[in-house]
Amino acid sequence: MWELFVRSLDASIVLAIAALGELIGQRSGVLNVGIEGVMLFGATFGFIVAQTTGDYTTGFIAAIAIGALIGLMHGVFSITLGVDQVVSGMGIWILGFGLTTYIGNPYTGPLGMARIDRIGGMSPFFYLALALIILTWFVLNKTSLGLKIRSVGENPAVAEVSGIGVNRIRYMCVIVSGMLMGLAGGVYGLSYNPVWNYNFLMGWGFIALALVFFSMWNPFIMFGGAVLFGALWQLALSPEFILPGVMSRYLWRMVPFVITVVVLVVMSTRWFRTRWGAAKPEALGMPYRKEG
Amino acid sequence: MKIAEHDIRLVKRVELPWWNAALISIFSIVVALILFSLVFVHSGVNPINGFKEIFQFAFLNRNGLPLTINRSIFIFLCTCAFIIPYRAGLWNIGMAGQLYAGALGAFGVMYLFGAKGDPNLYIAPGIGIPLMMIGAMLAGGLIGGIAGFLRGRFNVNEIVTTMMLNSIGFWFVSYMVKEGGPFMNPVGRSESFDLPVSVRAPLIFGIPFTLVVALLLAVLLYWVFAKTRIGYKIKSYGHNPLAAKYSGINPQVIPVLVFVLGGMIAGLAAYHYFGAVPGVFKVARNYAEFGDLSFYGIICGLIAQGNPLAAIPISLLFGGLTNGGRFAQGKLQMGFGVDYALLGVMMITMVVLQFFYRYKIVWIKPEKEISDVGIIR
Repeated sequence: MWELFVRSLDASIVLAIAALGELIGQRSGVLNVGIEGVMLFGATFGFIVAQTTGDYTTGFIAAIAIGALIGLMHGVFSITLGVDQVVSGMGIWILGFGLTTYIGNPYTGPLGMARIDRIGGMSPFFYLALALIILTWFVLNKTSLGLKIRSVGENPAVAEVSGIGVNRIRYMCVIVSGMLMGLAGGVYGLSYNPVWNYNFLMGWGFIALALVFFSMWNPFIMFGGAVLFGALWQLALSPEFILPGVMSRYLWRMVPFVITVVVLVVMSTRWFRTRWGAAKPEALGMPYRKEG
Repeated sequence: MKIAEHDIRLVKRVELPWWNAALISIFSIVVALILFSLVFVHSGVNPINGFKEIFQFAFLNRNGLPLTINRSIFIFLCTCAFIIPYRAGLWNIGMAGQLYAGALGAFGVMYLFGAKGDPNLYIAPGIGIPLMMIGAMLAGGLIGGIAGFLRGRFNVNEIVTTMMLNSIGFWFVSYMVKEGGPFMNPVGRSESFDLPVSVRAPLIFGIPFTLVVALLLAVLLYWVFAKTRIGYKIKSYGHNPLAAKYSGINPQVIPVLVFVLGGMIAGLAAYHYFGAVPGVFKVARNYAEFGDLSFYGIICGLIAQGNPLAAIPISLLFGGLTNGGRFAQGKLQMGFGVDYALLGVMMITMVVLQFFYRYKIVWIKPEKEISDVGIIR
């Protein structure tokens, strides 16, 4: 049972890091629906680099770097060019899906390296994820930089008038957000599921996106959601733990996705919104252009 | 910005004439193909040779052309499934899930007829084929309708819902056709039972009749969006849901309507590929590849700017490119996934050029001797 829990935490870590990246971007008002694409890039490049060099660290650096690059690209499209952010995000997802299928194909199969050592029974990324979440919360809520980020996400025109460089802050946020998504992809491809296959994320990026909506833009709630979801995912992968032989294993695989939809519905109801008060950044998804 | 003597400025477009939009679309396709030639270079193939192989097989080869047309019909139907919600400002990326459902719907009808394990069963084609199409459309529309209903009623993000439904559909098909699932082929190769010979779709010059259905659909959709009240309602909801609400359009009904219609067309796409294309006639083992192929619908829809008639030539081009790409990949010994790479490159070029729908570049020639203007003259 403990093993199952640890394994489910491994899944949660991937989701949490990716969702954290999305959360930072959204707080600055930039929506990126292409998390899946960034994660695929991170996972594939991390996988290829780690396998070629035989070194995990280089692999993770590659994953983070490609994530930053894609984040920058999303920034150029949605901040400088003012392209619809959903269109740009979709583009990044399909670019990631298409290109990594082609690039990664010769590397199909297991990574073939010793697993990353665990620290105190946990994956080292568990501690990293916790640290990143606390750091994000601290920066967003307790520092002047966080105030700037949030004000840019709420009302860029007012932020600009009060002397904040809106585009600069947004660029910073999308790049950091891309780095985290790339890292999440790397953790998935190098630690959680180190067997490359085309499109091997199977929609995890979109689940991370749902987690951000679920979290009401609070990193701690987001982490709670990720832990819950990781547990669900792991149970769905090994249903024999709770209900042996009840349903076909294929049907079990549907369960986490069904639950994602159900959770999203519940928290979208007016009852939930008025009860908990959703703190959606006002300017989310809107391109900002200085007048004049 | 200045280049030589010319001043270059970005000017916001006030209107976009259709020929301008077409020009941008063609330009984006050309740029994508140029970028795509890097894939050939990467595999050590001369890009000109590569494209020649692709186009020759796709459009001039006796074996290749029917494959191209079948793929194009499929992509076109997926494009329509994307376009209808897109006109209402909603994103349907769930064509994959809807078409999985459609495939099960179509074969579900045959299952009820008792066609499992009996490929020689006689079912009157005049009854069986329409029923299969209806089954496919109902199932697809149902799955699409879930996303539309949740969007309209609870304001749930439709991108997440449709994507989740894609995964749900994927596993559900696996359940149905693999490991003793209800639709499993008795011969047991992880695919569904074969369609009885009697209800295989009639062919016109080797092309299934679904071609006619697709063309009629294009005209019908164009007419709906251009002339009818319901088309107008969908478009005005897409421009501004709030304003649409105040002008008496029910904001809960439109999302359901567009997603049900989109899902039905995606279901039809499933019927086309699994029930009508010669040589398939079952839910094939590689059904997920068709789910992936359906994502071309997004790109076609964006390039066509939601115009169903413009989507026809674009679908044909992409049908040819993916089909020829597959062929070239085998013949020139390139890695798997050439058509996927094209999908990605195409999409991102499309995104960049979206910018030009809203802005245009204006070259301003400097006026000569402008400094001479003064009191002396």
